[in-house]
Amino acid sequence: MPLLSIEEITKEYDGIRALDRVSLKVKRGSIKGLIGPNGAGKSTLFHLISGVEKPGSGKIYFREIDITSMESHEISALGIGRTFQTLQVWGNMTVVENIMAGMNRRLKGSLLSYGLWLPWIRRSEKEALKEAKEILDSLGLLGKWESIASQLPYGKQKLLELGRTLAMKPELLLLDEPASGLTLTEMRQLSERILQIRQEGVTIFIVEHHMGMVMEIADEIAVLHNGELIAEGTPDAVRRNPQVIEAYLKGKKADA
Amino acid sequence: MVDKTKKEFRKRDIFYLVPLWLLSLIAPDPYLYHKKEFKKKDLFYLGAICLAPLIWSDTHFHHLMVLAGIYAILALGLSLFMGYAGQISLGHAAFFGIGAYTTAILTTRYAFSTFPAFLASAVSAAVIAYFIGRPILKLKGYFLALATLGFGEIFLVIIRESTDLTGGVIGIFGIPWFSVMGFSFDTYLKQYYLTWGVLIGLFIFSKNLVRSKVGRALLAVAASEDAASSVGINVPRIKLEVFVLGAAFAGLAGSLFSCVMSTANPEAFSLGLTVLIVMMVILGGMGNLYGPIAGAILLTWLTDILSRYQEYSLPIYGVILILLLIFFPDGIGTRLNVRVIYLIGYWAKKKKRDEGKL
Repeated sequence: MPLLSIEEITKEYDGIRALDRVSLKVKRGSIKGLIGPNGAGKSTLFHLISGVEKPGSGKIYFREIDITSMESHEISALGIGRTFQTLQVWGNMTVVENIMAGMNRRLKGSLLSYGLWLPWIRRSEKEALKEAKEILDSLGLLGKWESIASQLPYGKQKLLELGRTLAMKPELLLLDEPASGLTLTEMRQLSERILQIRQEGVTIFIVEHHMGMVMEIADEIAVLHNGELIAEGTPDAVRRNPQVIEAYLKGKKADA
Repeated sequence: MVDKTKKEFRKRDIFYLVPLWLLSLIAPDPYLYHKKEFKKKDLFYLGAICLAPLIWSDTHFHHLMVLAGIYAILALGLSLFMGYAGQISLGHAAFFGIGAYTTAILTTRYAFSTFPAFLASAVSAAVIAYFIGRPILKLKGYFLALATLGFGEIFLVIIRESTDLTGGVIGIFGIPWFSVMGFSFDTYLKQYYLTWGVLIGLFIFSKNLVRSKVGRALLAVAASEDAASSVGINVPRIKLEVFVLGAAFAGLAGSLFSCVMSTANPEAFSLGLTVLIVMMVILGGMGNLYGPIAGAILLTWLTDILSRYQEYSLPIYGVILILLLIFFPDGIGTRLNVRVIYLIGYWAKKKKRDEGKL
């Protein structure tokens, strides 16, 4: 049984089909890549999975639970974490607070118990701080734990966003163009980190513009073009698929 | 020659930075959010609050500080909603009014003693805030501001029109002094300790919220709701919770207010009060909890001092507010604007520069 299964999803914006009957499956423990030219509908698909937007028709199942019409925070509470294409780090908090806010769904207690600072709240806050520092340490950001998040360089902020998502201990991690804006070295580090996250048992679904990187790390790749799924399979098979080559060449020409 | 002037420049710059540095010692810095734990500084503030009315022992001062404390409770609740969650409410005076009227009605008509009425005020304000907040908080930005504004106005109309219950425009008189277990707070000094005691309790409560999961969730909602819900924060719920909490604070403040004034009438809870509280929060500084208290003390005093100048008071008030916002754009609870400091330096140097000395 796949961890995530998308069935016949369709999404329209003012009559324009962003996604046309797309069906996809993500196996537990795998890294799945989603590629396609600009405007192919990759980000739309991610928004639908994470509940930011609702599909026109079709169903999405996560752990065999129908999440199609759930609220965004309920979906993330089930264990789907995501990063955003445009960086969404909370610039009004310190680095460590960003990570701790990521743990939100695991910290229990009502408003009242936090206000009264009951003993178990004190304990859980202390543990959260300790764990957040461990996560920062593994990301190499521990030295900056007390700086304001918005003051970090771009690459570090991307890393922080990833760390925040990891802090919620997701089962499925949706990465929306994690390599955009990174330098080559940063990109290589990111690939290693993604492989390492998979080692820890997290399933990863990744949208990426940077073909080389996805081809390298993904077990399986799906290709979207004009809202339709045109190919799916191992990186090698996809690379040789004539439809994919054509779509990308057209895309390249249009860009130029 | 060139080197010498450069040296002079530097010395002067350091000189201008001295007041900034002094201020930063006493004022909490909003940009260092990790400094949220209780500090020794807080003990100093606590001592100052306890000793102040004994040092300045005239009743006018006590009365003013009672008012400032009540406004500070209001501003504290609003600052959680505005400064932390990043939402706008222009109907906060209505919850203050609900608290005041609850106490007024319960004590004068139903012979409640003041303490249960005090608690009931918080509950009634919170319950109304819950039912108002559920639909209203789906709105954002200006729309939320307008909806809350509308709520405030509707509240005033209801109070004015339901004369049987609230006494209409005349209001309710003869609300007893606040008393607990037979101890009556019948002097301004006693009321000072009462209001500031309540304020300190609520301040500690708020600070505990702000330095924990709740505060982080609020700041996350303020910065990006999409990102907040992507880590499982229930955005509508946390907004509602903090809105209701702010209303409960306002209800408590309103209850104290009606006991201190011994009257409740609709004029006290008009839009003017809302604007005053919002000014306290903004002038005091958003996103820190000392700010609203500082803002409340400052504006209460300012209005009192300016009332001596009668018809000139409002223009002077306006000018002072503008100046404060220029010099302390992040609020008086924070630092002086660095750019303004340099501007002063620029003016100071301008004369010399014109004379050709630089």
